[in-house]
Amino acid sequence: MAQVEAAEAELLDALRAGQESAFSALVQKYHTSILRVARLYVSSPATAEEVAQETWLAVLNGIDRFEGRSTLKTWIFRIVTNIARTRGQRDARSIPFSSLGEETTEPAVEPDRFAPAGRWAGHWKSYPERWDTLPEERLVGAETRARVQRVIDRLPLTQRQVITLRDVEGWEPEEVCSALEISETNQRVLLHRARSKVRQALEGYLES
Amino acid sequence: MLISEDLTCRELVELVTEYLEGTLPPSDRDRFEQHVILCDGCAFHLDQMRTAVAVTGSLSEESITPEAQETLLRVFRDWKSG
Amino acid sequence: MRAYKCLRPGRVGPFSGYSWPVGDWVEGDGAMLCMRGIHACRTRDLPYWLTQELWEIELEGPVQQERRKLVADRGRLIQRVEAWNGASAVSFAEDCASRARERAERANGDDAALLGELAGDAAVNAAKGEAALVGYIAARSAELDGGVDGYMEERLAQARWLAAELRLAAP
Repeated sequence: MAQVEAAEAELLDALRAGQESAFSALVQKYHTSILRVARLYVSSPATAEEVAQETWLAVLNGIDRFEGRSTLKTWIFRIVTNIARTRGQRDARSIPFSSLGEETTEPAVEPDRFAPAGRWAGHWKSYPERWDTLPEERLVGAETRARVQRVIDRLPLTQRQVITLRDVEGWEPEEVCSALEISETNQRVLLHRARSKVRQALEGYLES
Repeated sequence: MLISEDLTCRELVELVTEYLEGTLPPSDRDRFEQHVILCDGCAFHLDQMRTAVAVTGSLSEESITPEAQETLLRVFRDWKSG
Repeated sequence: MRAYKCLRPGRVGPFSGYSWPVGDWVEGDGAMLCMRGIHACRTRDLPYWLTQELWEIELEGPVQQERRKLVADRGRLIQRVEAWNGASAVSFAEDCASRARERAERANGDDAALLGELAGDAAVNAAKGEAALVGYIAARSAELDGGVDGYMEERLAQARWLAAELRLAAP
């Protein structure tokens, strides 16, 4: 991690000195993440692009003041969430997901997959399929990824935030808890629900 | 596994994320793993969940489009000359 | 320290899905999601964890002795215990199933019917070589019959069978 920070410190110095190649490198590294985070708050890819542009401008305008007390990633994340939230509120278009509060109990797997009573109560009625024997192309294809993206886009906001930051962006649990201001337990529950929905969607797609 | 420690499949699927996070207390982790050894259904389910996480992770592999790169370079040049 | 490791075919970890190399050290917090440390078995732990492949493993660093497993910082596979294969899995399971049958035959009273069912399950699965499952069924029947002590005795009998037949360290 110290290596990453040192390399970034050099990049930031070069950026402050006006080097275009430094800006290019940062853009390569962070732009798609910025877009994904923007999409957590705004409904259209076009708006997300605008938010991302505004973010880069804010980064450039603030680069002299950035002291490195937080990581670059955290700093950029704060900027994009502020801009995206404001845009999201102003747009006030309904985003196609149910954000009307989380249901209190969401089983990870549909209850009718398990035997309801008798000696084998609570056990699988029939086993889930083995995915490790599927040809790799089915799992890595663009269509599969598109499906997963659609499921994530339809999650309630907090579930969408957690799974995007954890599983797509690879943030550590503590970073997500701190950024979203939620407890570790809450974060885990949200992650569990989100992942369960992704699994279910994949099952529908891979096994059809 | 003692009868008193039995975990049903329905209970296990609720613990998968905690297991993958490493936050299950050791005795629960034991029960979880004991069950997976004995139950192919839950072994397949665990594998499915791990695969779902991996596919989600692959969403980060997209790279910036040349158009976006162009646009941002213009933003940079405007900013620099401003 | 030397211990044993149960893996799925192709040296795949049953919980982590991790593909183990032979001979190279593997770090506990490395490639394996959900694992903290390398897990391994003493002989007496094996009945709980039996899979298709049994390997000798060398562990390094402080080794935590947990109730049914060992946890270490790093480990490396040394060699496979070739004597553990499909045929020996069936033998192991049949040995367990025979004890379950004896318990059912001896039994009278309330538990006799259930012990009979368990013995039946054990026999069916023994023929399929389901070693861990039959070990579990036999231990369940022993617990019904003789409480926690019965359970522990059955598990020890299983570990002894493995030690003797596969030439492992005594449990």
